[in-house]
Amino acid sequence: MMAYIPAWAVSLIKDNNVLIGGGFFLLLLIAAVFAPELAPHDPNEQDLLAVLLPPMWADGGMADYPLGTDSLGQCVLSRMIYGARVVVIIALTAPVGAAIVGSILALIGGYFGGRADWVINRIVETWLSFPAVVLALILMIALSPGLHNVILAIVLVDWARFCKVLRADVMVLRQRDYVAAAQITGARPLGIILRDILPGIVPSMISLMALEISIAVVAESTLSFVGMSVEPDVASWGGMISDGLNSMYSSPYPLLLPMVAMIFTVLATTFLGQGVRHVVDNHLSERTQGA
Amino acid sequence: MTAVYSSPAASDGLMPRLLSQVWLLARQVLWRLPMLILVSLIVFVILRAIPVDPVTMLLPPGATQQDIENLTAELGLDKNVVMQFLIWLKDAFQGDFGISIQNGSAVSSMVAEALPMTIQLLFFGFIAGILLGVAIGLVTFSYRGTRVEKVILSINGIMMAIPDYLWAIILIVIFGVGLQWLPFLGPVGANISIDHITGFLTLDSLLTGNWEGLGSSLAHLILPSMTLALVIATPIARMAYSSLTEVYREDYIHAAQLRGVSSKRILMFHALRNASLPTVSLVGVQASVIIGGTLLIESIYGLPGIGSLMIKAMRSFDMQVIQAIALTYAVTVQVINMITDLVLFQLNPRLRMQK
Repeated sequence: MMAYIPAWAVSLIKDNNVLIGGGFFLLLLIAAVFAPELAPHDPNEQDLLAVLLPPMWADGGMADYPLGTDSLGQCVLSRMIYGARVVVIIALTAPVGAAIVGSILALIGGYFGGRADWVINRIVETWLSFPAVVLALILMIALSPGLHNVILAIVLVDWARFCKVLRADVMVLRQRDYVAAAQITGARPLGIILRDILPGIVPSMISLMALEISIAVVAESTLSFVGMSVEPDVASWGGMISDGLNSMYSSPYPLLLPMVAMIFTVLATTFLGQGVRHVVDNHLSERTQGA
Repeated sequence: MTAVYSSPAASDGLMPRLLSQVWLLARQVLWRLPMLILVSLIVFVILRAIPVDPVTMLLPPGATQQDIENLTAELGLDKNVVMQFLIWLKDAFQGDFGISIQNGSAVSSMVAEALPMTIQLLFFGFIAGILLGVAIGLVTFSYRGTRVEKVILSINGIMMAIPDYLWAIILIVIFGVGLQWLPFLGPVGANISIDHITGFLTLDSLLTGNWEGLGSSLAHLILPSMTLALVIATPIARMAYSSLTEVYREDYIHAAQLRGVSSKRILMFHALRNASLPTVSLVGVQASVIIGGTLLIESIYGLPGIGSLMIKAMRSFDMQVIQAIALTYAVTVQVINMITDLVLFQLNPRLRMQK
């Protein structure tokens, strides 16, 4: 018996962007989950007799520290593996959070219209016209460092983009005949929103979430670069880059290695996001497109 | 032929036209004001949640309960948040943004001192970024249908994914540390002094005929401006390229080609003007991202602009400074949006007809 595989799922696994981006992200996920097994050292373990060692293949490198050490004698590889945890957690949670906040407000504003919609719309406009980095930084000062707070800050900054796009979708869906039919039969607004409108905005929500992954990862790395993200004793790539910048003249590796990891991750998540959006646009968004 | 194109505004005479321009400008300013107040309110409310008590930070360790109460009343912190905000707003309208807890000087003068640096960076970054972006877009378009087009588009796509602060480090590593072509720390060379007139280092050194200072301040601006330019240029390049591709499908391009207009003239006079519309609005949409970029660029290159001031203020929980700089950023975004709106208005006659 053949199991039914929907067409969009087939396109998804055939899409090159999804394969490349998703593959890399999977590696990152594995590194994050098995960090204690994979990392040769504790990420905060300092070996002050072996500071700023080059990677093992360069002159003066030690096999004990495959990618060398930073200015405190911490193992660069171990810190990068543990830093992947922050990346993966942000990538998996922040887009979901932003989607939830953004879509709830989009559903309220878009469906009911009127004064609530006006207020939500003004707030969204204001949000989008304010530099995201600055808002995130201000939120982080108020929230104090920590992984949960970073996620919260990114959600509180990025919900507006979701709300703007999804609200437009809701406005289109509200005009549909099946929504009018539901209204005539006397269904309650909450029921209509959940049963008739929400399924229609899911495709846009998925593509926005996919695109949000790289935005959230960059946002976290920017915050940790200025020391406004996770607690100081948690290894993060942004923090490593910031430390590496200070010891750049003595050894470039603690700076360049996390940078390369960061760039590859952003590229991979961007590919993944674009691939997912492409597939969603082709297969799933018929409800909000056309007449 | 010309009669068809005469616009109604032209026949109205100069004065009404001037008036309508002034009205347009006034409207642009007026509807942005509530937005700025809303931004300030949001930031104000967030900053009340700071886990640090400003009163105890200002007072010496041996302060009595009476001292604490006096200062709390003096700072207006005994009133509720809305009242506090209204007082702040009233003072802000008069140009008074309070006192910095870092050094006791007026916040307004601290921001005013730092702002020219940021404006210089934005100015050079914008010009370089737009020129670079349009140039890449044009080059890509001129190679349309070839492999070069695909290669440039892919490289551009990769470059778009690199965040602004990493660009700053990449340029420092290549041109500052590696090739040692350009300076990358501070606003000007260490042993050069520039007389303060406007606060804009390049302008001041030009005004005083200080050529050494001009050269040094410009050299120190190249890498930061290029960083900002790269952030601006990559999306512009893609937009310019795709709008040119779009425009070339239009009938009036074919008509011009059939009339025997040279391909250079078609590109310059017919296509570029229309293709520039989405590009200009992209600059407006991206304004907040670009301005956010200056914050990290300034702090990485050690430029004493409002971004560096902001980072310093955050480390010492200097709320008044943070509040004032947040407003400054919001105003800057709105000013750039206003400029792009007005440019669009001039470029697109259809927008002018709507009322």
